[in-house]
Amino acid sequence: MLARRIVIVGGGTAGWMTAAALAKLLPGRCDVHLVESEAIGIVGVGEATLPHIRAFNERLGIDEADFMASTRATFKLGIEFVNWGRIGDSYIHPFGTFGPGGGEVDFHQFWLRLKQQGIAVPDLDRFSMACTMGRMNRFALPSRDSRRLDSTFGYAYQFDATLYGPYLRTIAENMGTRRTEGRIVTVHRDGETGDVTSVQLESGERIEGDLFIDCSGFISLLLDKTLGEPFEDWSKWLLNDRATAMPCRTAGAVTPYTGVIAMPYGWRWRIPLQHRTGNGYVYSSQFLSDEDAATALIEAVEGEPIAEPRVLRFKAGRRARSWVRNCVGVGLASGFLEPLESTSIYLIQAAITALLELFPEKHISPVDRDEFNRLIDLEYDRIRDFLILHYHATERADTPYWDYCRTMEIPDSLAEKMELFRRRGRVVKYREGVFLDASWVAVYLGQRVIPAGHDLRADAPSPESLVAGMQKLATDIVSLSGAMEDHGAYLRRYCPMKDAA
Amino acid sequence: MRDVVVVGGGLLGWSAAAALRRKLPALRVTVVPLPPPADALAERIGSSLPSIIEFHRDLGMSDGDALLRANCSFRLGTEYDGWAVDRPSYVHAYDRYGQGIGTASFHIHWLRQARRGTAAPFDAFSPAAQLARARRFILPDEDPASPFAHYEYGLALDPVRYPQMMRAYALHLGAIERPAVLKGINLRGEDGFVESLALDDGAMLSADLFVDCTGPRALLRNALDSAFEDWSVWLPCDRLLFADTAPAADPSPLDHCIAHGAGWRWVAQSASRTSQGFAYASAEISDDKAARTLRGHAGADPQAAVAIRQGRRPEPWLRNCVALGDAATMVEPLEWTNLHLAHSAIDRLVAMMPDRDCAPVELWDYNRQCAAESDRARDFLALHYATSARSEPLWRHMRDTTPPPSLKHTLDLFRERGRLPFYEEETFGRDSWLAVLLGQGVIPAHIDPLIDVVPPAESERAMATMRDHIARQVPALPSQAQFLANIQRQAAR
Repeated sequence: MLARRIVIVGGGTAGWMTAAALAKLLPGRCDVHLVESEAIGIVGVGEATLPHIRAFNERLGIDEADFMASTRATFKLGIEFVNWGRIGDSYIHPFGTFGPGGGEVDFHQFWLRLKQQGIAVPDLDRFSMACTMGRMNRFALPSRDSRRLDSTFGYAYQFDATLYGPYLRTIAENMGTRRTEGRIVTVHRDGETGDVTSVQLESGERIEGDLFIDCSGFISLLLDKTLGEPFEDWSKWLLNDRATAMPCRTAGAVTPYTGVIAMPYGWRWRIPLQHRTGNGYVYSSQFLSDEDAATALIEAVEGEPIAEPRVLRFKAGRRARSWVRNCVGVGLASGFLEPLESTSIYLIQAAITALLELFPEKHISPVDRDEFNRLIDLEYDRIRDFLILHYHATERADTPYWDYCRTMEIPDSLAEKMELFRRRGRVVKYREGVFLDASWVAVYLGQRVIPAGHDLRADAPSPESLVAGMQKLATDIVSLSGAMEDHGAYLRRYCPMKDAA
Repeated sequence: MRDVVVVGGGLLGWSAAAALRRKLPALRVTVVPLPPPADALAERIGSSLPSIIEFHRDLGMSDGDALLRANCSFRLGTEYDGWAVDRPSYVHAYDRYGQGIGTASFHIHWLRQARRGTAAPFDAFSPAAQLARARRFILPDEDPASPFAHYEYGLALDPVRYPQMMRAYALHLGAIERPAVLKGINLRGEDGFVESLALDDGAMLSADLFVDCTGPRALLRNALDSAFEDWSVWLPCDRLLFADTAPAADPSPLDHCIAHGAGWRWVAQSASRTSQGFAYASAEISDDKAARTLRGHAGADPQAAVAIRQGRRPEPWLRNCVALGDAATMVEPLEWTNLHLAHSAIDRLVAMMPDRDCAPVELWDYNRQCAAESDRARDFLALHYATSARSEPLWRHMRDTTPPPSLKHTLDLFRERGRLPFYEEETFGRDSWLAVLLGQGVIPAHIDPLIDVVPPAESERAMATMRDHIARQVPALPSQAQFLANIQRQAAR
């Protein structure tokens, strides 16, 4: 069978993740050609990731320690949200469960029941391995034995996204991916079918292909500029349309979690890497000027800045379809959701996974293409609701920005979920979707969405036995975490960063 | 929520009462044991899916309780005969069919070999299917390396002793039995909630929640509304005949469903009886002729034909009245989903028990899950009709009918390259879908490219090894009668 000619438009994280996956997992099936221009530069978003990335790296046969050393990565057990429900609040959204996991009734139901009975219980995050390890700044790999308490957390990475692309580039090129440097000036289409046939570079060179992957970032060269696929605008719920980013030297401990701090007109990220800390302020230009945002960021960061603030512009939403004709959008070319829950790289990965499963043979089947679009829409829509929750579930009234968020109308799908949680702490269960029950519970409770009741099955055990069980659990979690290595020490032993080239 | 009244005295009503008392002991549970009607299929169909095992365990019952106290026996799957044309019969067992080789799942390898004409039937790679065809049974092996480790099994229930056991258990757990005849249902003026049930002795039985287990008539739930989504366009049978005969000495753990020009017939052996039946479309065959057909096969006179109307209620739970089993969803017994859907609804009811106000948002989520589950069960049943190549008018018509959108989506994707989409609340896993799709001869147009990294000769070798493993071990395993006798001997000690 003839190999299909795949043209990837754009390097960067999306482009090289796609190239490496296609080259590695569909050898002989496709001939991958990536076009990028060093002059354009990359956004390099998504320095913080979700645990799913580990499966992606494993599929590519990547050695974890080598990858972490090369991208100056740190471990990530969750995200700390500061000042969201009220100024002064802090909670961690952990990768992992509350309580020992398993069991028919969710742990938080027993916890709610005791609280509603007026019995004093520690905060819920004391019953999470990931939260406790994070607060204590410890790390160890999770146990594979699901009966053990130290198997109840997951982890992801915080890494330098500008180094992840080049790391994958080596893998892709070793597997036979061709790379051409150059700026695309024209996209040629078939007069009859409307399919894209080739891209032409400034040099005059034309690169032909059967399937085009649009990894051109916000420019969306193929989906938007060439095919005119409409954009579904979600900015009435997700107001932020700017970010200003500025790396700093690390002051203090290298935390095994990402910091997300609510600001008067948006929020600020704090992502500790081995060699520096990434910082940025995500805000709404309706409420805040770029200059004021930069000033606020400079004032807020802990360490000494190592670059000037750099502004990015975006709009929340997604293309109506991510796969149109023979063009598949991967990453920012297909949509954008702010990095509040570190979903950028996850969405790239989801698109690649779906593309691999639905990879076309000689002709693109509309059935496969529709299925791809259905899967991607599902991912975007569920993440969208989860993000909106963070803005809406707040008591903040200190700025017009938060007034808007607190009082805005939200999608029905989210309103129903919140109402269910308010009644008796129930989380709408989906088996598919990136954020599972514990994530929703963490954000609801962390942002003061407090249920009035609880699951009646949680009434079965006696309060004494529950209190004793919880005390032992919290103690076990602290002693297990305390026995672990300091996060920084673990990194220095396991994956010290390679010297800058 | 304090007081719950369950109406219906068959196995379903008592199962609901037992689950409520066991999981939510603060509730007062009263059962009005109306005898189940002839068209309540969750009561009548003895073949149950593997989910019954988990249902029993959640109640604190073991397989041994069901076997020894209620005369149940085991079942491993169903053989489908005559559904595919010019193909051998196929077995749908609750098992893994083959093991993935390299990064591609097994069925992709099977499809590639099938194209080359060298693949054995798909069910040759299911240990449970082979065990069942040989009329043998063992419990799944605890060693995960054994081929006989990954299947699940259902139970064949004794129609008399099983409900008796469940009643005794529910009473033991503190359910209250209130024998009576239902005379009327009183609704509350201000909000239309059920206020009380008028009983024949003049009493008014009130409660916070009413659970309707009265079969398709839905005596309680129909008092609130009778909205119904009809599925007859996809599931054509509207009549059932039953003929029970004496149990076989060594009951087969494999049920048998045989396609017929006007529907299909079943033979299900168990420790208590041999259940035979005929599901048919009354437009295609008269009741008399259908009865003669079944008598000819069963050697016994069938009971009077039962009319069924397939479909579901859009809202099984409305206000303070929830319909379970056939009162919520009514489907023909193909694939034996009737009791499974009822059990699943009981679990959901227990898990989602709301306050006395039965807030619409909580009921909405319950109804959403029930709908998703029922619709996918319907899809799986309709799959058998939509993909059969039989030539009689009924079957040709079914093949030409556009399937429900979710089944069409599934079939479109599968026919393209053997991929199966994910749906929430799916009763049957991937292997079950594959067993029926491939058993009925639905072959995808393309082979998934992910398989390229494994050469065909390697697939061939791995597949031969899998078959050998199964074929070598099956003859040494006990028959169902031997296995049941062993359990009884152990219990007697």
